[in-house]
Amino acid sequence: MASGQHAPPLLKRTNSAAGYANGTGLQHRRSLSTIPSSRPTRSPQPPAGMASGMNRASDPSYKGKTPSTGTGTGASSQHSSLSANVQPRYDAAARRPRKLRSQYPRGSTENHVEYILVASFDIDRGPVMEHQYPVAITGDEHMLAELMLPDQTHVRNQDWTIFFLHKDSSQEEDDAERQAKDERRARRNRRRDRAKGIIHESDDEDGEDGDLDDDLDDDDWDDDESTDSEPEGIEGPPLVYVLNLVNTKQDKTVKRGAVVKAMAICTRHPFLHIYKPLLLLALEEYFKAPVPETLSMLYNAVNEMDLSLMPKLSHLERHLLQSSENKDLFVEKFEQMIQARITETSGVDVDQPLDASRALLSQPGIFRSGSKAHIEGHAAYVVPRDTHEFESRVMYKGIPIPIKVPVAVMPEIVGDFSLIKLIQNFSDTNSKSPQTFPLHPHLTTNGPNTQPIIVLINALLTQKRVIFLGHNMPSGEVAEAVLAASALASGGILRGFTRYAFPYTDLTKVDDLLKVPGFIAGVTNPTFELHPEWWDLLCDIPSGKMKISSKIEAAPITEGLVYFQQQNPVYANLVHNSSSSGSSSSDLTGDAAFMADILRSITTRAGERVIRAKWRAWVLKFTRIAAAFEESVYGASALYIGNDEQEANLTGAHGGHGYVWVDEATKARELAGNVTRIEGWRNTRSYYSFIQDVAQLYTIRPLKGLDLAHLHDRLRTQRLTPAQSREIYDTLAKYVTSYDEVCLLLSVAPEAHAGLFYVALGLFHKDRDVRFRTADLLERVAEHEAGQHWWRALSRFEKLAYVRIKREAEAEARAKLEKEERDAFSAVDQRVS
Amino acid sequence: MGASLSISSLFGKLFGSKEVRILMLGLDAAGKTTILYKLKLNQTMTTIPTVGFNVETFTYKNIKFNMWDVGGQDKIRPLWRHYYSGTQGLVFVVDSSDHARIEEARTELHRILNDLEMSDCLLLVFANKQDIDGAMDPQTITEKLQLSKLRERPWFVQPAIATDGEGLTEGFGWLSDNIKKMPKYGGK
Repeated sequence: MASGQHAPPLLKRTNSAAGYANGTGLQHRRSLSTIPSSRPTRSPQPPAGMASGMNRASDPSYKGKTPSTGTGTGASSQHSSLSANVQPRYDAAARRPRKLRSQYPRGSTENHVEYILVASFDIDRGPVMEHQYPVAITGDEHMLAELMLPDQTHVRNQDWTIFFLHKDSSQEEDDAERQAKDERRARRNRRRDRAKGIIHESDDEDGEDGDLDDDLDDDDWDDDESTDSEPEGIEGPPLVYVLNLVNTKQDKTVKRGAVVKAMAICTRHPFLHIYKPLLLLALEEYFKAPVPETLSMLYNAVNEMDLSLMPKLSHLERHLLQSSENKDLFVEKFEQMIQARITETSGVDVDQPLDASRALLSQPGIFRSGSKAHIEGHAAYVVPRDTHEFESRVMYKGIPIPIKVPVAVMPEIVGDFSLIKLIQNFSDTNSKSPQTFPLHPHLTTNGPNTQPIIVLINALLTQKRVIFLGHNMPSGEVAEAVLAASALASGGILRGFTRYAFPYTDLTKVDDLLKVPGFIAGVTNPTFELHPEWWDLLCDIPSGKMKISSKIEAAPITEGLVYFQQQNPVYANLVHNSSSSGSSSSDLTGDAAFMADILRSITTRAGERVIRAKWRAWVLKFTRIAAAFEESVYGASALYIGNDEQEANLTGAHGGHGYVWVDEATKARELAGNVTRIEGWRNTRSYYSFIQDVAQLYTIRPLKGLDLAHLHDRLRTQRLTPAQSREIYDTLAKYVTSYDEVCLLLSVAPEAHAGLFYVALGLFHKDRDVRFRTADLLERVAEHEAGQHWWRALSRFEKLAYVRIKREAEAEARAKLEKEERDAFSAVDQRVS
Repeated sequence: MGASLSISSLFGKLFGSKEVRILMLGLDAAGKTTILYKLKLNQTMTTIPTVGFNVETFTYKNIKFNMWDVGGQDKIRPLWRHYYSGTQGLVFVVDSSDHARIEEARTELHRILNDLEMSDCLLLVFANKQDIDGAMDPQTITEKLQLSKLRERPWFVQPAIATDGEGLTEGFGWLSDNIKKMPKYGGK
């Protein structure tokens, strides 16, 4: 319904596809354009399988996620208050993740790189395309050539650019893709049904094909698509990312003294920066040998890159890895992959992942030397030093080029960029001489002195036209800023930024660009600054200043804003609107404090990962505040899906959900500070994609109807009575059992935010049962593949408490057992006598 | 000496705050970039084809010029229009020895001047490359470019040899004198 308002980019492709219609290899050709295509937006539909997902919530056999162990769900045993010693140690195995798959399996038909292009600047004609390999990309090849030869290439010897292509797939391709998807889904459903009746995973008979045995995987927190491509939502097919290198060589022997050539790699992998060293070599080669064979040599080399030992992680696992500094997190998965490969190559059956992993543990062959771990006798297989990166190599002309591929790829994170650099660039000048912005309700949420980075993120959330200008800078630098800004606004949570990002663009595309409602573009041409009608926010990189356009559209007065003011008359005057700067005095949004914290973290040399995790937390908080706002103003929100039925059954502590405030007044103040930008966010692309993602993730997420983040936040922020905290601890202990459930708990208690500290406080609860159950919960966490690292980070004090409680529980259980035996004896005695 | 300094800084105050935006266009290889850097650095640079644009700021006769030099290849000429808005002076550079393309230059020049956003701007034509044998003289250039068709607009054709810097000061002298007369610049 509301999606109808979401205007699709009103674009016509200006390509010359017809001119290629008679070309060869038509079936391979895909029409590509740099601007999102004009096909009608699909209305968001509840993902199929949602209904069955809800059923599953009440189906206890699904709790464990690993039907293979049948008895090991643990959930039933948890109801006993003495579960500690009842629960068998080997139960941990049941909580192992499902069978591992590779992110990029061997024999996959998908290539790492789809096209290689070469363009040059013709002194008479301007930019022209010279070669395309393996086939020509349809679409406007002149436009591509222009992008490959960025403005002012003539003043520097080398420059990198990045741009994205939108596959404008034909109707048939669309249909074929949808059909394939339906088939996959049907197959999965069939398997799911069968799995319910089947006890052992290994009985599953259709595992003959490597690609088919992914049945259990798909039930999990996992995207339907391969991990590197963003899930296809309302937005359309995945993007093609282009990394381009351009060289200018002065050459006295040629007319007008220089040769300018560019080579580009087109890939679906968002980690396109890994190809930089190869492009450097290949373009150099092309200057010597400007023939298609030079392209094919590169094409073959990169596509032979072996990433098959990189394990595929679930959605939650990726989040954990991404926000963890731990270099060993999930190292077991890499070891398992290697072990499976070794077994495979030596001809032993590999369809036994659990056994394989156990064999691995018992095998003395694994050792770590220095920072590297090797598996004895198989020096070719190396466990990565840092599990965030998978190390591989590409053989180019007989030279092995080392490549590092990020393991956990989040949506909207493309290429290699630095949030720290972006934040510093626009904060340093501001802290010396604070900028004063003209007021705009969507942008200046903290008044005229709103921190520039906050202005930027507000602009992105409310879908403004944002331009990064870097005059006299390499275009690679503006591209980097655009990629960083997209990641900043997304936080790996929201989508719809990279698709409308133009990391490098120039005047040739401006007419098309202006048809896109809301974009992030990188330019080096200062002419853009002279056209305030082209943008809403201009971020000038060299000066570190931002400018709100004099021609920006005013923010409309929305229903939500009016309702909020009516419902909260006390806070109504705090709501920021263009006529007053009422909210500027106090930091209602908390953004000023947040930015101060970020800048402090940067000066104390916190790493990029820490800063990204903090931004992710900011974005997550924003979505949760927005959900709370919608619930209070509109009475309902699609930004959170709970299971009403289950919530109704749970009392008090279990039932709550959403963001937690200390008290109602604090809540009202924070909402007042956020009203305008939340209202500006509603009706944007990222808002609608988020609703869709929430619905989709709901179908695969563990613990439906229970908001773990809410429970954990209550422990963290609120002053609770022993009875209240007892309820929370009991809920956690009762429901957090399976592998995925523990992952979920870890994700709401990130290492950077005190980790399990608040959970472990349950070890000191005045109620003995709570202490026992918390100890059980922590035991499960400690045995968990990822949880062990969180466990290790607990303080000695907490660990000692844990040991003491465990001993106590054991002693009690022993006493009970003895008593039972005694009772049994006496009963016998009585009968005998 | 001190006195003259203070006078120039006074002029700087009067005019210095205002930047005059100049757009320099012309067919490819006419010598635009060479002119730009000769004016800016007083150096003869070996230039290579401009990919996109160059922009430099320099002060001449107390006027701060913000001068744009945009690449001239046939396919990138449609981009010129994006540089029009706010332009006070057009410097059109012609390769006087290129007889074959003088018609093409005329077409492009009139297309620029017919744009609404360029209706108020001054026109300075550099008849460049006068050192080459067979170069057309300013009179011929004026005729070939059909400058007589321009009615209200102030225009001036200046013969030049960009590599030596010959004619450049004269051309910019005319430009600065006329800019000061423009209503926008506070002139009469």
